[in-house]
Amino acid sequence: MVDAFLFVGLPYIAIVTALIVGIRRVRGNPFSMSSRSSQFLEDRKLAWGSAPWHLGILVVLAGHVVAGVFPKIWSSLLAAPGALFVVEALGVAGSLLALAGLAALIYRRLTSARVQAVTVPADLIVSALLLGQILVGLMSAIHFRYGSAWSAGTVVPYFWGLVTLSPDLSYVADFPMLFKLHLVGAWLIVLLLPFTRLMHLLAVPLPYLWRAPQLVLWNNVRRRQQARAAVVQAESRREFLKGAAGAAGATGLLALGVSEKTLSFFRGPRPDLESESALLQKKLERLQQTAEERQLELERQRNDMILVGRYADLVETKGRYFIDYAMGPGLAFKGRDGLPIVLSAKCTHLGCTVGSELDARGRVLCPCHISYFDVQTGRPNDGAPAKLPLPQIGWALVDAGGKVVASRKPGQPLPGLLDPASLSQCSLYITKPGRDLGPS
Amino acid sequence: MKPQQTLRRTGDFLAERFPVDKLNFASMVGKKEVPVHRLSWGYYLGGLALFFFMVQVVTGLMLLFYYQPTVSDAHASVEYITEHVPAGALVRNIHAWASSLMIASVLGHLLSAFAMKAFARPRELTWVSGALLLGITFAFGFTGYLLPWHQIAVNATKIGLQTIEEIGAYLPGQMSLWPAAIKEIIQGEATVGQATLSRFFALHVIILPLGIVAVLGAHLLSVQLHGMSQGVDDKPRRMEKFFPAFLLKDLSVWGVAFMILFVLGLCLPFESLFAYPLFEPYNPKGSTPDGIKPEWYFFWIYYPLELLPFWVILAGQGLLGVVLLGTPWIFRNTNRRTLQVLAVAAGLYLLVMTVFGETIYHLFKG
Repeated sequence: MVDAFLFVGLPYIAIVTALIVGIRRVRGNPFSMSSRSSQFLEDRKLAWGSAPWHLGILVVLAGHVVAGVFPKIWSSLLAAPGALFVVEALGVAGSLLALAGLAALIYRRLTSARVQAVTVPADLIVSALLLGQILVGLMSAIHFRYGSAWSAGTVVPYFWGLVTLSPDLSYVADFPMLFKLHLVGAWLIVLLLPFTRLMHLLAVPLPYLWRAPQLVLWNNVRRRQQARAAVVQAESRREFLKGAAGAAGATGLLALGVSEKTLSFFRGPRPDLESESALLQKKLERLQQTAEERQLELERQRNDMILVGRYADLVETKGRYFIDYAMGPGLAFKGRDGLPIVLSAKCTHLGCTVGSELDARGRVLCPCHISYFDVQTGRPNDGAPAKLPLPQIGWALVDAGGKVVASRKPGQPLPGLLDPASLSQCSLYITKPGRDLGPS
Repeated sequence: MKPQQTLRRTGDFLAERFPVDKLNFASMVGKKEVPVHRLSWGYYLGGLALFFFMVQVVTGLMLLFYYQPTVSDAHASVEYITEHVPAGALVRNIHAWASSLMIASVLGHLLSAFAMKAFARPRELTWVSGALLLGITFAFGFTGYLLPWHQIAVNATKIGLQTIEEIGAYLPGQMSLWPAAIKEIIQGEATVGQATLSRFFALHVIILPLGIVAVLGAHLLSVQLHGMSQGVDDKPRRMEKFFPAFLLKDLSVWGVAFMILFVLGLCLPFESLFAYPLFEPYNPKGSTPDGIKPEWYFFWIYYPLELLPFWVILAGQGLLGVVLLGTPWIFRNTNRRTLQVLAVAAGLYLLVMTVFGETIYHLFKG
């Protein structure tokens, strides 16, 4: 019964009263829409109270209004990772700011004789009500955490039930006491709205930012000049406010966007098991590749002969890459006479690795600066950037029994004719520079 | 000249270049004014370069959290940053774009300062420190290019280092071996490998940053001490306060630059300007892939190097270095009109070589 009165009766009474009395007040006494200013009487303490109070309460109120009127947009906003924390933190910070500001305002009203002279009882009632309302709201926000999320399934349906004239008490019945108190406080504030200075809530002073400059005209010359100067000052303040608001907004957006990206960057990826094992696999492969290269290096330091491949695998038109003793690239072909052609593949110009495909004139191409090298002699074409021939590399053919069948050192004559049929079982090795292999 | 006289003259020279009596807030910030004239836009280019440098420091430190400078892991870690780390692709892309934009604004700053004769007495040392900064900036670009350890990175670095060795052919006697020795010191081993990667990494993230911060500090300090140079022959009709008017405009330019950089970083991967296979991990056993070339900001020297005999480039390069460092004394008596023509010519050369370098190369080489 009490619930029915407080959460259905009171809201409707408050709204209807606010509408009727509010409209009468606007029509009958339009200039009373604003909050009667006392800045003229006392302006130092006012600045420390009014600014934080309004800034804080605007943030908190904006959250309440958006969550209540656009619940779908609100929930989709909260769905972003981390958004809930940001919203809750903003809300608590806003209400703390408002609380501090309101406390300063009440202190001012109670201690300044000049302000007390214009204070009416309604001002004190409103102040006390707002103070209580914020305290209760803050307490319920801390006690029943994440209200910005759970209100979507509780308070918002109750509010929309009232709006659609089908009030539903089932949501309210289970609310904790603290929260019921906050709701009742809210309806009381709505009820008091048209009777008090709170009416200025409906007179949003935004047109101040873009209204035309106002100049008060005086007959008195001195006054006229003063008024001019005052307008100039007021205008520059207005421009500053606009610029500061723009800069603050831009900086805020920038900070939000950048921190959203950087925070997740430093948090790092959270890969699932599958992609994590794929990553590990790739890392392992790269490590094995490096290990193989180290192995090659060691072999070249220790062994007198390094295997290039089976003789039978050599072809005339496409070279076979291998790593030579200097850990540089080398190429092995089968010559027209059936003997291997083995030479360095490191371009003598700037050290690129030359291609392995022979062109129609028996040359390989270095793609970096277009030098053609004849593989028979190693010499570059005329006018090529490379001036020196590709060095020949000493090689040996070893049969299946491990016996050296033929070998050739760079600059030495060919070992003479061999029966190509007998070579088919052989393997091609390169030989360490400066080492003698004995009889060939 | 007596030693005492020399000492006194050196002291006078330095005192004029670093007027320590102006080393206070009032004269460096409070009273400083910026001339307003048709070349005033040039005053923003240095600040822009500074902004991009700061972006490089921040994004570079962020990349340092994930990058691993070993031959087996470097490419994989860069791939990991690009594909797996949230916003990793964005951070890396901004680092790549900002490096290019930093070099572009440094070059613009150089040419505009030259055209405005901003190096005239007493700003000689400001110019020289700027020329050093240019060299360090290019060194940043060269060392950073290797770190992803992909095909184009390693092969282009090999070629770049090999050109040092080429110089040896033009030196007499024992000296002809020095360039090869220098190359090996930079490279750390017989071929570009782990030692090179470690050295380039140390250069790129520690040594060069320390160097640039020191020189940049001197550069900025002397800019604030001397104030903006007049920039034009006639005394400008209007001056604006450095603080807050100019600074606010400068910061707005930074804001716009960041916006452009961020959008570029989000939308246009820097690597999309190259052919894809170049970004495969470096394969020491394969042939050098087609299309190996340095970053665009080396085109002005790279394409002439391909077309002309090496000694011409070498002589030109040496001459350029001397002119760059000696500008305040060489062009001491040149008027601004001539300087502007020279700056425009140099700018046109850079532009043509960067944009049409490849076309010109194919025109002559077929």
